Amino acid sequence: MRFGFSRLILLLLFPLISLTGCEQPQVDFVFSKKTNELIPAAAKPVKEALVRQFGNPFELTQFEGLPTNFGDVEGTVKTVEAPSGEEKLIRLQVEGLQDAYNKLQGLPLEWTSGKGQGQISRIKEYNYETGTIAVEKTAEIDPQPGDTFLVECTRLQFGRDLYNRHCMHCHGMSGEGTGPTSRYLNPPPRDFRLGIYKYTSTKPTAKAQKADLERTVKEGIAGTYMPSFKLLTDDEVAAITNYVIWLSMRGETEKKLVDELFFDYSKEVVAERTSEDGGEKPEEIQEELKEYMELDFPDTLEFATSSVADAWEEANMEDAIVVPGTPRVPDTPESRERGRKLYLSDKTKCATCHGPQGRGNGTATQDFWTNPVTNKKYPNRGLHDIWGNQLPPRDLHRGIYRGGRRPIDVYRRMYSGIKGTPMPAFGGPLSDEELWDLVNYVMSLPYSKN
Amino acid sequence: MGKGWCLFFLFWPVAAVVSCAMAPMVGWSFPYDNAQAASNLGIRIDGLFYLILIVTAIVFVGTQAVLVYALWRGVNNREERATHIHGNHKLELIWSIIPGVILLFLALYQMNIWADFRIKKFYPEVAVKDPIAEVTARQFEWRFRYPAIGKKLQPKPQPDDLYTVNELHVPFGRPVMIQLRSDDVQHSFFLPALRIKQDALPGLQIPVWFEANKEGVYDLVCAELCGWGHYKMKAHVIVESEEDYQNYLKNLTQQQFYDGLGKIAANENDSESEATEK
Ligand SMILES: [Cu+2]
Repeated sequence: MRFGFSRLILLLLFPLISLTGCEQPQVDFVFSKKTNELIPAAAKPVKEALVRQFGNPFELTQFEGLPTNFGDVEGTVKTVEAPSGEEKLIRLQVEGLQDAYNKLQGLPLEWTSGKGQGQISRIKEYNYETGTIAVEKTAEIDPQPGDTFLVECTRLQFGRDLYNRHCMHCHGMSGEGTGPTSRYLNPPPRDFRLGIYKYTSTKPTAKAQKADLERTVKEGIAGTYMPSFKLLTDDEVAAITNYVIWLSMRGETEKKLVDELFFDYSKEVVAERTSEDGGEKPEEIQEELKEYMELDFPDTLEFATSSVADAWEEANMEDAIVVPGTPRVPDTPESRERGRKLYLSDKTKCATCHGPQGRGNGTATQDFWTNPVTNKKYPNRGLHDIWGNQLPPRDLHRGIYRGGRRPIDVYRRMYSGIKGTPMPAFGGPLSDEELWDLVNYVMSLPYSKN
Repeated sequence: MGKGWCLFFLFWPVAAVVSCAMAPMVGWSFPYDNAQAASNLGIRIDGLFYLILIVTAIVFVGTQAVLVYALWRGVNNREERATHIHGNHKLELIWSIIPGVILLFLALYQMNIWADFRIKKFYPEVAVKDPIAEVTARQFEWRFRYPAIGKKLQPKPQPDDLYTVNELHVPFGRPVMIQLRSDDVQHSFFLPALRIKQDALPGLQIPVWFEANKEGVYDLVCAELCGWGHYKMKAHVIVESEEDYQNYLKNLTQQQFYDGLGKIAANENDSESEATEK
């Protein structure tokens, strides 16, 4: 053979060689920039607490009290295959997991009866067909036929797998908005960790309703790179949303913890405190931090998670929704004219940002604004959102409505503002009729002549 | 070794013919029922495909048989040496004219189908008069704009237009036409079941017509490699009775102009998803 086997083999191997060069995306929950700016002794407990409460992408943890559908499945042990000598796993034939999600590996399993009652094992192996699972062998865990257990997080895991398939490459593994594709997108994908969502049906200070996020997933966001996922089933969309909210709660909890520590224990502050002017000794600071961690940190953690959980729970109450007090004012030329006057008035100051003609070129786009997070001026002119991105006011003539194009959507944008952006809430200052006049005016702009 | 090569060259055409013949049985043939297109135009296009398949199959089997015969004879006949010739004028003519005639025949034979498919003058009149919707391809979704009930689709958006995404409803029983656009890069409007495929080009509005021959839900996919999310660019085309279609539009109108009060207010989000489902 002239061509030679060695060359043939090289040719066949070529695709394999080039494949192995592919970069794998990060598979861990990341911590915020601010967490990493803490001195190690302060950052460590924060990170440990987060891992304890939320786990990592492979081993999600169920933390009591979060308004999340973790999805518990009950089961009973049928037979036990005793581990032989060296073997570290106990294999169990079980009942009750037939209709559960087929990827239970890595999930926590809580024993609800028998010797190990109250103990938690991790599922190390799971076979969907034969209904066997394997857990690690320990002194306390000695399952017997008839013992019952709960498998936790099946729902969360379902959401995670869908999220990782459909959302992760933009929004990132931890919802931090920096997935592999994110650098090519403008506007950038949302960082979920502040727990702030722009397009909601809720009152100005409330979080998003589950249904709001589900609608965003299904309908996409026109004018951005967020596409519609309408072909997913309602169940899948709900599971993704559930997981996204869980990621938000993780991020918010982290933020609350770090905010508590940052003022005293960031690397920068500690350097200052121990400088010659500060006059404190590093050991003193370490001692103080140690005391804080022992005495106050557990309460801080408890408060952080529960306040985050409460906020999410409240947003899903019925009275959190913005419902107009009066039906839409008929869309007449008179109503539009009243709306136009309001738009230009000092009462609303719409024109300052959106421009006198609604072209998105108001005077505010020429000013230097102050960052509400850092209290420093932004380096460039114009408005910014809370995530630090430049945010031009919307050109109202384009007919693209990111938060939905129904009158109620536009009404809610005005009533509650757009969360995380400089768009203010007019729900108090303006009456229902005034808001509807404004809605009618704004919605007529894309079809107006000038 | 010589006979081995003969078998080698015999094996591949046989394997090709066998696997092609078996393809429909393992579901590697046309989408939907493996044979029947979901539109009458599609059935005619399939007919063209089969015609070409038969012509090329005959040529393929014929040439392969000659090749193997020549090899076999060469292997078994060590005495007769190959002679060097400068070509054969008659032979050259034959194998130029025959394929030429076949191609000319195919070109003429398919002209009607092509015209019905692609030339607007030959589109069904009812479809051209009243385009159903504007379809805008976008990375990575399909957005639809319908005219208000009783109105005609205008090139520019109108205040009472209706909007949806990834779900195009069309009435059954009459040919329909859409205006195809792209917001960003090149996409391709592909209805595999109906054998309809048309590129969407930024800056152009391209009319596309189709008519399903039975009611149902058909996949709409993008057939142009338009970016990393190309494979996700899926939608449904729902072909339903005229009555269901009108109900759908009514429902859409109601949702589109929803002011947060009234019938669907109580449990807004639930009733919405119900409405889109039906
Ligand atoms: Cu595409």
